[in-house]
Amino acid sequence: MSETTATTAAPEQVEAPQKGFAGQSIPRKEDKRLVQGEGVFFDDVKRHGMGYVHFVRSPYAHAGIVSIDVSAAEAVEGVYGTLIGEEVAAQTDPFFEMSTPPGNEIRDYALAVGKVRFAGEPVAAVVAETRELARDAAELVEVEYEPLEPVLDAVAAVEPDAAVLHDEAGSNVVWSGTFDWGDYDQALAEADRVVKIDRLYFHRFSSTPLECAGALVEYDRGTAQWTLHCNHQMPGIGIVWMAPALRVGSDKLRIVTQDIGGGFGNKITLHPYFVALCLLARKLNRPVQWTEWRTDQHTANTHGNERTFLDVEVPVKADGTMLGYKVRAFDDAGAFPRYEPLGCIIWAQVTPGCYRWRHVRVDFTQACTNKSPTAPNRGYSRMQQLWFTERVIDLVASELGLDPVEVRKRNYIRSDEMPYETPNGCVYDSGDYARCLDIALDLVGYERLEERRRDAESRGKLLGLGIGSTLDSGTNNFGQSQLLNPELQFSGNNEVASVRLDIFGEIVVTLGTTPQGQSHETVAAQVVADLLGVTPDDVHVRAGHDSYWNSHAGFSGTYASQFAVTGLEAVKGATLALADQIRRLAAVILGAEGPDSIELAEGFAKVRDNPEAALPFMACGAIINVNNAGLPPELDDVTLNCRYVYRPPFQVPDTERKFGNLTLTYATQIHACVVEVDRETGVYEIVDYAAVDDCGTRIHPQIVEGQVHGATAHALGAATFETFPYDENGMLQTSNFYDYHVPHALDMPPLKTGYIESPSPFSSLGTKGMGEGGGAGIHAVCAALQDALRPLGNPLVTESHNPYHRVWELMRDPEASRAGVEVGAAR
Amino acid sequence: MEPVTSKRVAVTVNGALHERDVEARRLLVHFLRDELDLTGTHVGCDTGNCGACTVIVDAKAVKSCMLLAVQVDGATIETIESLASDGGLHPLQQAFSDHHALQCGYCTPGMLMSAKHLLDHNAEPTENEIRRAIQGNICRCTGYVNIVEAIAAAAKGEVSA
Amino acid sequence: MLLSEVGYARPAAVEEAVRLLAEHDGARPLAGGQTILNVMKARAAAPDVLVDLADLEELRAIASTDDGGLVIGAMVTSAELVTSSDVKAARPVLGDVAAQIADVQVRNRGTIGGNVCSNDPTNHLPPVLVAVGATMTIAGADGERDVPAEEFFLGVYMTAVGLGELLTRITLPPLAGARDGFSSVTIGADGTCIVNAAATVSGDEARVVLGCVAATPVLLTAPAEDDAVREAVHGAGLEPPSDVHGSADYRRHLAEVVAARAVAEAGGGG
Repeated sequence: MSETTATTAAPEQVEAPQKGFAGQSIPRKEDKRLVQGEGVFFDDVKRHGMGYVHFVRSPYAHAGIVSIDVSAAEAVEGVYGTLIGEEVAAQTDPFFEMSTPPGNEIRDYALAVGKVRFAGEPVAAVVAETRELARDAAELVEVEYEPLEPVLDAVAAVEPDAAVLHDEAGSNVVWSGTFDWGDYDQALAEADRVVKIDRLYFHRFSSTPLECAGALVEYDRGTAQWTLHCNHQMPGIGIVWMAPALRVGSDKLRIVTQDIGGGFGNKITLHPYFVALCLLARKLNRPVQWTEWRTDQHTANTHGNERTFLDVEVPVKADGTMLGYKVRAFDDAGAFPRYEPLGCIIWAQVTPGCYRWRHVRVDFTQACTNKSPTAPNRGYSRMQQLWFTERVIDLVASELGLDPVEVRKRNYIRSDEMPYETPNGCVYDSGDYARCLDIALDLVGYERLEERRRDAESRGKLLGLGIGSTLDSGTNNFGQSQLLNPELQFSGNNEVASVRLDIFGEIVVTLGTTPQGQSHETVAAQVVADLLGVTPDDVHVRAGHDSYWNSHAGFSGTYASQFAVTGLEAVKGATLALADQIRRLAAVILGAEGPDSIELAEGFAKVRDNPEAALPFMACGAIINVNNAGLPPELDDVTLNCRYVYRPPFQVPDTERKFGNLTLTYATQIHACVVEVDRETGVYEIVDYAAVDDCGTRIHPQIVEGQVHGATAHALGAATFETFPYDENGMLQTSNFYDYHVPHALDMPPLKTGYIESPSPFSSLGTKGMGEGGGAGIHAVCAALQDALRPLGNPLVTESHNPYHRVWELMRDPEASRAGVEVGAAR
Repeated sequence: MEPVTSKRVAVTVNGALHERDVEARRLLVHFLRDELDLTGTHVGCDTGNCGACTVIVDAKAVKSCMLLAVQVDGATIETIESLASDGGLHPLQQAFSDHHALQCGYCTPGMLMSAKHLLDHNAEPTENEIRRAIQGNICRCTGYVNIVEAIAAAAKGEVSA
Repeated sequence: MLLSEVGYARPAAVEEAVRLLAEHDGARPLAGGQTILNVMKARAAAPDVLVDLADLEELRAIASTDDGGLVIGAMVTSAELVTSSDVKAARPVLGDVAAQIADVQVRNRGTIGGNVCSNDPTNHLPPVLVAVGATMTIAGADGERDVPAEEFFLGVYMTAVGLGELLTRITLPPLAGARDGFSSVTIGADGTCIVNAAATVSGDEARVVLGCVAATPVLLTAPAEDDAVREAVHGAGLEPPSDVHGSADYRRHLAEVVAARAVAEAGGGG
């Protein structure tokens, strides 16, 4: 695949994109241990005398807790102790809430206090000598409940007569507000047509990392410090939640991760469990270990946000130009907000999707329901919004008889408009959507589409093509939280790395990130190697995260497609600082003119004009660390241990207009999907699939492609199989991998990939974060199904999840799906 | 013989004989992980769907969460820890690295044992046979694309030195 | 994941297994364990004794009968059904369907006896055995008795195997000119079944057995023609369950489709 050139003026880069290891798919540093089963995941960590924790969980979606009796459990030989909500309420403060009233009145604790609000919510914990015994004893905990009416729909939850989950808040509303950008009324006035859609629905699911959550927690009485060997993927914010709740300073919590078995956002809000573990470790004065089981993860960890879009209105010109949209959105946060209500603003990073919509009016409400809490899930909140924009495009195209490819090209933001300011002040840095689309269409054989339709028809199948997109907005401006609550003291972003030259000349790198498969050891080593003139093999990047490494900041972690910018900029900053110190040291030792006359190559600091004069890195490390007598005072600040905190150049957004740049980079993915639908059963198969990625400069193409594959698999799973529905009693219907079917090897279609590179003008390496491109696939499947079913009365796809039975229902009753969509004349 | 709730088992794991008293209710995967400290075998679900716990028992790939430890008394077991030998990676391990067939690495041990079971019985698998062989192993990171390529490459001996 | 305490015994002979099953009220046979251990992990059931059938070699055999039929020991694994040349020669549908059960690891452990005795309505083998007219041999304290497959399945997780009894073998009649077919709709390839159907066509008549539409396999007979089969299913008054994988309406509809496809695969249809 060919590459684009940058579509904007040359970025202001510290130096030209690097020639060297960056850009090559070098062998991954992580692999050697992982292919041998020598990774260290949290459940592999053991301590003498540790107790196993089992949580007693609510069988009700909504109920008062009348009483809890742990005496029978505690009497079992081998049981070390228990914990219940009353103790939690006495020993901790409620977790910090981000919303404005009434959402911030919610009191969220590590265990249920007084009431349970979702089936599976932990109400007590039991610790015992073995895993099995802990569960045996947990069954002896007697809890008396008083069942209450469950609230299971976000739209109904805000009705005046709805039962209220959180009495202290007095309402189920977590947050609500309006967004009004451009001049929507003017857009209506200019429109030739207005397309109205009653309801679109984005379903609840999660990426279900294969490793569930868990931790081994140790408490040191002498220092009053906890160490958590765990798989938290955002320790910075984790500590911000946990330390105040535990009424300690942040340094009392040491979070350690090595290998994490996938995260996808689902390991960001583990703080309630971890606080319970901290209390148990302190109470029992022994290490405690908790492993979440799959059923627990599905019922009571986190789900992705479920969003309902009502009363959608799209003003359109006769030529297919779309002017904007209006919508009422309802977000279902589940029982506790936790990371929410950030989902009420994160979507605005991609307000117009890929399109030149200038006039947007959104009324957004988020409500609590008696379901599992939601939290970030790969593509957090943007995936819902992007699905909405793409669905609107295809529904409008369908209703106005426009070609889905042509209408996209007419409305796409063009490469020559980059950097492009969206109606709400976000700046799309670079990209070429139309070009990506052309490549994707080429890969799926678009020119033969009609011929293939006929061929499929001869086999009793209906063939359809669909297009989806993702704008993977990476590197958050946390200042967007102030658009929800101006009182919040979050803004900007940061990440840390340290790079040092050790005694024997070893190059040692520590990161603030918590990789879960994103290959940070490898990619960091590529960047360091190029800057220091060594090979990646010479660079030792410590595995995982340790908040006691001092390479840790408030926003540290691995989430939101950050690393390629925040992580690598931190690595680069620290490495450049180290290189500078090595040059200064070498200039003095070698008697050279000054640091500028020193170059770093092959593990030596060399005098540029005199290759004979060279100091090996080993000597540099030794001199500073153990042989430093007689060094001149101008080297006093040379430590060869350089820490760098990268802070993106963000401003606090305008809270009045809810306007400003919310993210730094935007990677693009355009997907094209061809499906064949069995006319009799609704069973469908993806027969061709292409994903075209543009994440700017690629440091390690193979890793980028791997992310594209994985994100696509998540999307295809969500589109067809993966859903978290509840019955009328608030019981999750898909609590295991039988009912929650994720794609297996035989379920995945052949994937074709392509790419272009539009370097970001806003990152010095030209990179963009790109881990969350999957949402495109959900829409591509929706659109392909709608296209395929067109001959059967043109049913319209209005939901993101389309299992076989749903497709069959669309075929059986196309009119039902069309009832909520109408085209009207402009007013 | 009368039923017992705990029993002495003798099992050969990766070439070494282990004898332990074990509760009848203990799953093989917990026996391997918690009692023999062979933590390369992972747990990804509680219903036998995910295959992260796949090991080879008497030359057959099985899910070690779907077997009691007492059932393997007298058996010969291979786990991921046995795959590399003489300090070198097994061709499958090398191929997984070559092809970026792992991201987080959590499913990888089970995936490799399923792949080994395949190649032990079928030296020249087709792509469909490879996919069928790993159908019982869930990977949530890779979409299987590179895993299938890696197994095919290992079967052909096309691995880097 | 964590089982309740359980007793374990591994008898060396069928008689001893039957004795153990009879002596302990809560005893259950442990065959491949691919269902019962899951149930025990969920603590949805907690038998007090598991009688491991692993050492009962006589239950592991596949043999052809003189008339061209098959006798399959209850401990024969799905993997063995897939590769057995006897199965392939006598009733190939059995191997073809066994190949669609779950995955390699489950097929390596899971047994035909376990599959039918658990009688999970989503299992593939119960409809197949009813369609082919298999005979189930059950051993008890008083010796053996034979039960036709169509009388074997009594309810979800319930069969004619009573307390203190053990399914020992399954006898399949020879094809004798008949042909077998099978069709299913599952969630993803080889995933949980939504509806399945097995068919045996003899001459112009089809025995069609539907799975996943009731607590036990539903047997219908119809002329081996597409329309007639669909009509027979349509008129059968099926009341299938509604769940997250499909409504009752959808299952009723699929039942007609997979029945017709199973018959077509068996060479009927038209």
